[in-house]
Amino acid sequence: MTEDSQRNFRSVYYEKVGFRGVEEKKSLEILLKDDRLDIEKLCTFSQRFPLPSMYRALVWKVLLGILPPHHESHTQVMMYRKGQYSDVLHALKVIRFVSDATPQVEVYLRMYQLESGKLPRSPSFPLKPEDEVFLAIAKAMEEMVEDSVDCYWITRCFVNQLNNKYRDSLPQLPKAFEQYLNLEDSRLLSHLKMCSAVSRLPYDLWFKRCFAGCLPESSLQRVWDKVVSGSCKILVFVAVEILLTFKLKVMALNNSEKITKFLENIPQDSSDAIVSKAIDLWHKHCGTPVHSA
Amino acid sequence: MAQQANLGELLSMLDSPVLSVRDDVTAIFKENLNADRGPMLVNTLVDYYLETSSQQVLHILTTLQEPHDKHLLDKMNEYVGKATSRLSTLSLLGHAIRLQPPWKHKLSQAPLLPSLLKCLKVDTDVIVLTTGVLVLITMLPMIPQAGKQHLHDFFDIFGRLSSWCLKKPGHVAEIYLVHLHASVYALFHRLYGMYPCNFVSFLRSHYSMKENLETFEEVVKPMMEHVRIHPELVTGSKDHELDPRRWKKLETHDVVIECAKISLDPTEASYEDGYSVSHQNSARLPPRSADVTASPYVDTQNSFGSVTSTPHSVSRPMSSTPGQLPPPLSSPAPRLSAEAPQATLWSPSLMCGMATPPTSPGNVPPDCPQPCSKAFGALGGKGTPSGTPATSPPPAPLCHSDDCVHVPLPPPTAAPPRKEERTDPARPCLHRQHHLPNDRGLEELPGGKGAVTLSDLPGFLGGLASEEDSIEKDNEEAAIYKELSEITTADTEPLVPRGGFDSPFYQDSLLGCPRKTPSATTSAQGASVHPEPLNASLDKLGPDTPKQAFTPIELPGGGRDQSPAGSGEHQTPLETRILTPSPFRVPSQRGAGFGSGQPPPYDHLFEVALPKTAHHFISKKTKELVKKMPGNAEEACAPSASPLEVLDRLIQQGADAHGKELSRLSLPSKSVDWTHFGGSPPSDEIRTLRNQLLLLHNQLLYERFKRQQHAVRNRRLLRRVIRAAALEEHNAAMKDQLKLQEKDIQIWKVSLQKEQARYSQLQEQRDTVVAQLHSQIRQLQHDREEFYNQSQELQTKLEDCRNMVAELRLELKKANSKVCHTELLLSQVSQKLSNSESVQQQMEFLNRQLLVLGEVNELYLEQLQNKHSDTTKEVEVMKAAYRKELEKHRSHALQQSQRLDTSQRRVLELEAQLAKKDHLLVEQKKYLEDVKLQARGQLQAAESRYEAQKRITQVFELEVLDLYGRLGKDGLLKKLEVEKTEAAEAAEERLDCCNDSCSDPVRGHSDTVSGHNGETRPPRPGSTRGSGGRGGGGSSSSSSSSQLSTPEKPPTQRAGPFSSRWETATGEPSTSIPTTVGSLPSSKSFLGMKARELFRNKSESQCDEDGVTISSLSETLKTGVDMGMEAKTPLSPDGPRPAPPSPDSVGQLRIMDYNEAHQEHS
Repeated sequence: MTEDSQRNFRSVYYEKVGFRGVEEKKSLEILLKDDRLDIEKLCTFSQRFPLPSMYRALVWKVLLGILPPHHESHTQVMMYRKGQYSDVLHALKVIRFVSDATPQVEVYLRMYQLESGKLPRSPSFPLKPEDEVFLAIAKAMEEMVEDSVDCYWITRCFVNQLNNKYRDSLPQLPKAFEQYLNLEDSRLLSHLKMCSAVSRLPYDLWFKRCFAGCLPESSLQRVWDKVVSGSCKILVFVAVEILLTFKLKVMALNNSEKITKFLENIPQDSSDAIVSKAIDLWHKHCGTPVHSA
Repeated sequence: MAQQANLGELLSMLDSPVLSVRDDVTAIFKENLNADRGPMLVNTLVDYYLETSSQQVLHILTTLQEPHDKHLLDKMNEYVGKATSRLSTLSLLGHAIRLQPPWKHKLSQAPLLPSLLKCLKVDTDVIVLTTGVLVLITMLPMIPQAGKQHLHDFFDIFGRLSSWCLKKPGHVAEIYLVHLHASVYALFHRLYGMYPCNFVSFLRSHYSMKENLETFEEVVKPMMEHVRIHPELVTGSKDHELDPRRWKKLETHDVVIECAKISLDPTEASYEDGYSVSHQNSARLPPRSADVTASPYVDTQNSFGSVTSTPHSVSRPMSSTPGQLPPPLSSPAPRLSAEAPQATLWSPSLMCGMATPPTSPGNVPPDCPQPCSKAFGALGGKGTPSGTPATSPPPAPLCHSDDCVHVPLPPPTAAPPRKEERTDPARPCLHRQHHLPNDRGLEELPGGKGAVTLSDLPGFLGGLASEEDSIEKDNEEAAIYKELSEITTADTEPLVPRGGFDSPFYQDSLLGCPRKTPSATTSAQGASVHPEPLNASLDKLGPDTPKQAFTPIELPGGGRDQSPAGSGEHQTPLETRILTPSPFRVPSQRGAGFGSGQPPPYDHLFEVALPKTAHHFISKKTKELVKKMPGNAEEACAPSASPLEVLDRLIQQGADAHGKELSRLSLPSKSVDWTHFGGSPPSDEIRTLRNQLLLLHNQLLYERFKRQQHAVRNRRLLRRVIRAAALEEHNAAMKDQLKLQEKDIQIWKVSLQKEQARYSQLQEQRDTVVAQLHSQIRQLQHDREEFYNQSQELQTKLEDCRNMVAELRLELKKANSKVCHTELLLSQVSQKLSNSESVQQQMEFLNRQLLVLGEVNELYLEQLQNKHSDTTKEVEVMKAAYRKELEKHRSHALQQSQRLDTSQRRVLELEAQLAKKDHLLVEQKKYLEDVKLQARGQLQAAESRYEAQKRITQVFELEVLDLYGRLGKDGLLKKLEVEKTEAAEAAEERLDCCNDSCSDPVRGHSDTVSGHNGETRPPRPGSTRGSGGRGGGGSSSSSSSSQLSTPEKPPTQRAGPFSSRWETATGEPSTSIPTTVGSLPSSKSFLGMKARELFRNKSESQCDEDGVTISSLSETLKTGVDMGMEAKTPLSPDGPRPAPPSPDSVGQLRIMDYNEAHQEHS
């Protein structure tokens, strides 16, 4: 009782001062205490608030279906996952597809290819575009998740989610991007159109790779929180916000190639602000998701 | 060179007698000067001038413009340094600065000034010194502030020259010293006037030395007697008088006048205070008659000079000529004259304005015009030449009359000498000499301001027999004048004033106009007429004289105008002559002799005109005369005589002697001439005389300069007077205006009073009306109040009535209520009444019923008593039975109800249990769900793991097959090779399958799985095609035949590769499938199909229904079947062999076929 009142008493001030995530952590803990994890609630929570990094991996695993909602089976399932991971890895090693010297990301890629049956005959075969996407995402994920098993699994499921769940919505994102950019800053859009750069913007980087390699991981994981929890629209707003932030520079450039080049290599320093603003913008345009409970 | 030669020519042409040539050359020079800024031309001109002292060159040099002044000054500086050219250079300088060139301020900076001072300090030539000092004196007022640095030089020069005057170093002639003394005297005046403090301190320091004491006593002290205490000595200081600010507001002529103001010397001073002083001076003068006459004359002249403006202005309005001044001037004049009597002694204007006119007429003896006019004519004739060069334009050589036309008044005087010069160029030298002293004397004339003339005349008169000669000579000249005047006066009528005229003369000419007309008209009169213009011109020569000359003339003219016009022209000259004081007094005095009785004729007039001054003057004069009477030879004992006077006297004497000699000896022999004169040797004499002439000329020029300065000042004063007059007039006009305005104010005041009266009247009217209205209002108010009271009363009455009505109404209401109440009571009562009536009726009815019932009761009682005895036993038994029965039923009912209760309870219990169980069930379900979910999760994980495993296995398989393939290539045992190639092919087939289904791996996978499980399934077209393709090959047929030929063998051999494959590929499911069937997995492979067909052919009889499928199969595999048939024929003996192997398997197969067929059918 005392704890509760204390928490409430402070929470008022946290909100006012602008501290976010203090209350969230507690509520997340409460959510995670449930024996059968309510995935919907976790989704909503993850969309609404940034995840505390210590629970991020767990929540992601649950949301991506790597872990079942039951705590009891976690260890067993995890054991399976690990076994599977080591089996696949062993197999790859046996057929000498990978060695100890092979970079971890490539190992993940080969494992993924093996599991999906797309393993080429020889490791020297050229990579396909979707493999590049996988590599980029895996590389970003490697920074976010420490455990290699977790990392592999999250990457795998993340990519699968992109390929399955978002298969239809991803091609729609450029259009949505234009629409929101027009709402936010029509002048910028007309400038882009004038330079005929709209069609040449790095949509692959933004939407297929989900900004992997474009934003630093620390801010990227906040974006991926939303992606993992089921909203790929956040990507549009991140893209819009990037353009808004670098509006002056973009306006100064009048060549589509230059613009694309610049956008592919945007400065990293303001990425945190960009992500925060993008999330605000997303909330503004799509409304704040409310707990269904 | 050519130019120089040209210059020389031009210079020589300058002095050519032809006037036009001269003018042209002069113009050429001026043009050159304008064009050329170099010093060459100026230098040449100066040289030429020093050589020839040409008047034209002098004229050019003195009018040099700004850029050349430096060259001129440099050149002069150069020549001043040389002793030979010094004198002429100084005279050139004097000429130049006397004209006051615009560059005069540069003199103070020019090197010429120091060198001039140096020369004055060093030089020993008296002529040079005198000239230099005069130049210096002229220059000083122009550069007053320059005195600062050269002040001590000036003082040193003064000290040196003053001592010179006394010590006479060397061979200096006495005559020169007189000149020198005069110039030193002028220098003294100038220095004292300009720098009194410094000068006095210098005097103090310089003459405190013993060696200078004598000089002081002899020279300086007498000079100091002629000056007043300078006011600067009291108020100023040494520094203050050197302050440039002090000099800034003073112009040159101001400085000159300043200096003249402090002088007490009548010949130098310009102050009327000098009046009395001059008397004293004159008293000390040698008791010559001329002196006696001179001093009063000077006095009057002085007084005139300072007061010139008033008479002048007075004369203006009277003049009939084109008056230049506005009429307003007339007003101040009368006022001034009116104030005259009250004026103090020193006030100049009043004294002169009043004094002169009366004195002269009174003094004039009408009988003596002739001689005096003659004398003046002579003087005038001689005086003019000196005046003309400076003022009148260069004389025209041929027609003098032309000249005279332009110069209305001077010409008559100026023309004669010129004419003399021109007409008598061959005149004897003696004549010239005669002129020379005369000139000299005349040069002093302006300086002496007429005193010379006066003294000259006495000299004439007092001379020996030369008087007649001179008169004769004068007569000659007078005749010439007459001629001239006759010529000129005819032309003087159209007065065309020329711009080139010097201003005083110009004015004079204008003013002289009225006077001229008479002269013109009276020209027929002859010589008697002439003196008048001559006199006028003579008077005009001095700077102060013009006005003096005009006033007397003008005033009578005005008087004439007022007087009847018939007075005639004859009178006018007389009058004018009478008015001019100077000539008249002289002749009168002369005529009167030296007697003391001379004054009386006009004394009374003085007394009349100037009560105080005249008296003063006369008494002094008489005293002088008395003084003079006793001793005539007082000349020597007049140490305090002004040096100027001494010089004057010298000139007079010289002139006398000269005149005598001239008259007597007309011969040009000088020796004879001058041996008469004095003790000096004749050889020297000419030089001395020349020098004297030079000195006198210098003196004259200096005096002329002073005169010009006076003239300038006079003009300024005149301007002031005019302005004052204008202001006066303006004032008067303002006063008039004021008066007018006052009148206006009066009128306004009267009208104001009228308006006020009207206003008051209106006010009264209004008041009465207002009062009336007020009374009306009061009455009306009274009425209103009455009405008000009435209405008030009525109001109260109304109120009373209302109250009464209300009371009545109240009563009415009460009554009404009472009525109502009673009505109500009445109705109640009536109701009660009716009620009671109905109750009575009921009661009656009930009573009747009671009666009836009582009768019935009685009846029944009777009946009952009749029956009661026989039914009681039966009833009692029945009652008991009923009672028992009731008991029984009651207990039964109780039992029943108890049973119901229990059963109900049980039902409730059971329901609760049911609900619990339901709940439990739901929970269980939930839990089950949960567990299911959990299990599914795990299962999913496991499944995925399994999938992964499957993939891994596939990969491994692939790998292994790959490796096999490589091994096969390497070439092993043939059989093995065959086997292996088969296996490899099979594997490849599988791989192909896999590859085909690559796009959909899961489906492909399931296909393969199903393929494994259900061998009976027809092979896929791809595989059949593949097998068919291979069946086409000969090698494969042979291999198949070989395989068929040895069907027993393969199991083991075949099992090797196949079992291994089975183990890896199928894993767990392999257990459920029998090995025998598994040993025929060739459902996919070509061999397997063959075998099956064989089996099928055999069992065709048994199972016909399969025929359809088989036929279809056979159709599809036509080629393969054909091949198989071909292969079968040789294998026919072996045919039965494969049949026995396993009927079960066939059965199995059949079953499978059934299944398949069933499947297909279904």
